[in-house]
Amino acid sequence: MTLLLKQLFAFLKLLNSDQGTNQIAAGLAFGIILGFSPFLSLQTFIALILIFFFRVQMGAAFLSGFFFKFIAYITDPLSDRIGRLVLENENLRGLFISLNNMPLVPMTRFNNSIVMGSGIIGLALVMPLFFLFKVLVFQYRQQFVSRFQSTKFWKLFTATSFYKWYAKYNELYG
Amino acid sequence: MDLTKPNSAAPASPTAKKKKSQGPIRFEAVVPFGIVVALIIVYFTLFFDRHLKNSFEWLGYLAMGSEVNVAQLHTSFLNGTFRMQGLEITNAEKPTHDSLKIGDIRFGFLWDALLRAKFVVEEIAVEQIEIDTPRKSPGKVKPPDPPPVKSTQPSQLEIEATKLKNQALKKTERELQGNVFGDLARFLNSGGQGPSLEGLTQNLASQKKLKEIEGSIQEKQKKWQDLVSKLPQAPEIQALGNQLSQIKTSGFNSPQDLQSSVQQFESLIKKSEEKINLVKSTSGQMQTDAQGIDAEFKNIDQIIKKDIADLESKFSLPKIDAKSITKSLFMPYLDPYLSKINHYKALLDKYIPPNAKTSKEKGSNPDEEFKPHPRAKGITYEFSRPNSYPIFWIKKISITSQSKGQPQTGDLAGLITNITSNQALIKKPTEAQFTGGFPNLNLEGLFGKIVIDNTASDSLVDFQFKVGSYLLNSKELVNSPDVKLGFQKAKGDFSIRGNLKSLSQINYSLVNNIKNIDYIVESSNSTVKDILVGVFHGIPVVLLEAYGEGTLPDFNLNITSNLGPEIQKGFEKQLQKRINEAKERIQKLVRDSIGKERAKVEAEINSAKTQAEAEIKKVQDQLQAQKSQGEDKINQAKKDAENQAKKALGEDAQKKIDDLKKKLGF
Repeated sequence: MTLLLKQLFAFLKLLNSDQGTNQIAAGLAFGIILGFSPFLSLQTFIALILIFFFRVQMGAAFLSGFFFKFIAYITDPLSDRIGRLVLENENLRGLFISLNNMPLVPMTRFNNSIVMGSGIIGLALVMPLFFLFKVLVFQYRQQFVSRFQSTKFWKLFTATSFYKWYAKYNELYG
Repeated sequence: MDLTKPNSAAPASPTAKKKKSQGPIRFEAVVPFGIVVALIIVYFTLFFDRHLKNSFEWLGYLAMGSEVNVAQLHTSFLNGTFRMQGLEITNAEKPTHDSLKIGDIRFGFLWDALLRAKFVVEEIAVEQIEIDTPRKSPGKVKPPDPPPVKSTQPSQLEIEATKLKNQALKKTERELQGNVFGDLARFLNSGGQGPSLEGLTQNLASQKKLKEIEGSIQEKQKKWQDLVSKLPQAPEIQALGNQLSQIKTSGFNSPQDLQSSVQQFESLIKKSEEKINLVKSTSGQMQTDAQGIDAEFKNIDQIIKKDIADLESKFSLPKIDAKSITKSLFMPYLDPYLSKINHYKALLDKYIPPNAKTSKEKGSNPDEEFKPHPRAKGITYEFSRPNSYPIFWIKKISITSQSKGQPQTGDLAGLITNITSNQALIKKPTEAQFTGGFPNLNLEGLFGKIVIDNTASDSLVDFQFKVGSYLLNSKELVNSPDVKLGFQKAKGDFSIRGNLKSLSQINYSLVNNIKNIDYIVESSNSTVKDILVGVFHGIPVVLLEAYGEGTLPDFNLNITSNLGPEIQKGFEKQLQKRINEAKERIQKLVRDSIGKERAKVEAEINSAKTQAEAEIKKVQDQLQAQKSQGEDKINQAKKDAENQAKKALGEDAQKKIDDLKKKLGF
């Protein structure tokens, strides 16, 4: 829990900084894979490994995954329909039989209509979402953070000794 | 723009270091990842087995309804092995003992299948099986589940009431089962005379029914009188006759005169017809009523028969038929086995998937390659191909157990093959077979075979179970205040075979031979005792056969035994004549008390019917006569008018002919 909170604070800190736009956007985009996949599945495990070993903002990924879990729950009927269409397709039957008898692949649970449908939706949206989140983060920083910094409240706050102490601490250990 | 950094107004720190730009790979994550992996390995090495053991015990307790213990459990992820030692399942009915104890269960699963998310086991070894072994401490028994509360379900009160009712019925049934011999003893004690007949005929149902019919006849008679009074009376009919006689029937001056008479006649005939119809409808109503009374009266014979049967039961007249005797003797003997069957049937009902119970849902040809299973979330498709692994498959379970002189251990050898989630894919049914015995428990020649075939559209379970020899000690068959029957000591053999189609249609037969019997025969009546001792003395082997069929959970049980007919013969000689005499007395009593009443009611019915029918016939005849008279008169008037017209026409023509003759000079 502490680790998770630390990641969330790191995400907020990074979001309000002028760095790591790609990391945040990638993290938020990875969230759709986490949210749209069953927790106990190979693809979730792979997504977690990627998030862990690549410089993807973990807090953003987990927060986004949590959010997309709800979206996935709402879109389950749509996912089910897409999954059925794909899994019942006669032309793909041979491919699915081969996949089902290959090592590891059945662990993705691709043969479930909802898993297949939500997987397709997630994969289709991951790249557009990456670019969308990138634009949104940029806009957030432009529109909100810079305006907030120019307010009198912020200027007054940065002049306090508490803030100076925090800024020093952050510089040394942050 | 960075909120976490001091803004331009803040003093710059002299110690501020420029951070190194970082690449896309998070190398610093290797160490934490390693720690996580190490922790997982530590968990699986040190704690997983203990947690799995606890899970088995907890789930076993929930599933079996009694404490389940596992002495040791060891798994190896890398070797793909599992070993469970000292599995004990507490006997829910006798918590001081285990119903089953298995020394060792071990198997290895195929990594090849596990990588494909399938669980395949080549062989499971099950060793050291013990039954009914005493436990170190009594096991915990799960209290029964509370019944589900749903709005559509009966209330708790209703459930309790039904339960109590069923218990009472069961108790009565049991009591009645022992009563065949009790009845015989009581009958003999009373010298075949039975209780006093006085007062028994006061509340006969047939008598009450006759009184009801009598009341009903009186009501109908009143109704019929009302109906008859509404019919046309004699003056009314006479008036019709008078009107008819006043109509002109001859001497018509013109066709209009005739037409007027005809109209008057027709009007009168119409009135007569209306009255006749009224009489007919009244007659119809009365006939319907009379038929109702007749039907009720015919029913009285059935009620009299029932009265006779009730009186016979009050007299406790014993039934000396082999079937009742056999049932009375062996139901208590079979009860423990039946309750065990019911216990396992309840477990089966609880855990078997609902759609497995009906074959129709599966379709006529199960497709081994493409098999969707409806799930709570989406549909899971099984993309299989010949020779691929099903999701779950235990190829072989070998059971071996040697007694080695231990009292509760048995010599058992068995083999279970092909327990799988998809029989159609592997094209093999699940088969289980075992042989052996528990010599120290005097249980020998055990043989069991079960074949569960789900490869066809209708699942078929064939079962067969044999016990070559077992010992019976102090087994009571009947224990009533009047008679006590049983086996002090005996040896038996037992076999049952049958099948279960679509997990609902059951068909079975059971054979039980009991020999080397030392009987327990006691009775409060010396004649009964003498008869029973005499009968049992001549029966060295008791043969019990039971068979039945039906749809689960309801199936019938028919029992036959050589003991029943032998006891029947023994008692028949002594008692049948006396029983028949008692029956005749009862029948005579009922007929005498009902006979007069019956005749009286019958006479009343006939008299009422005759009287009403005569009244109606009289009125109907009178009206019919008036109507016929009217019709005759109208016909006569028409004829007269016709003749008169013809005559007038004839005279006129003759005159014209004569004139013509004169003119012509003839």
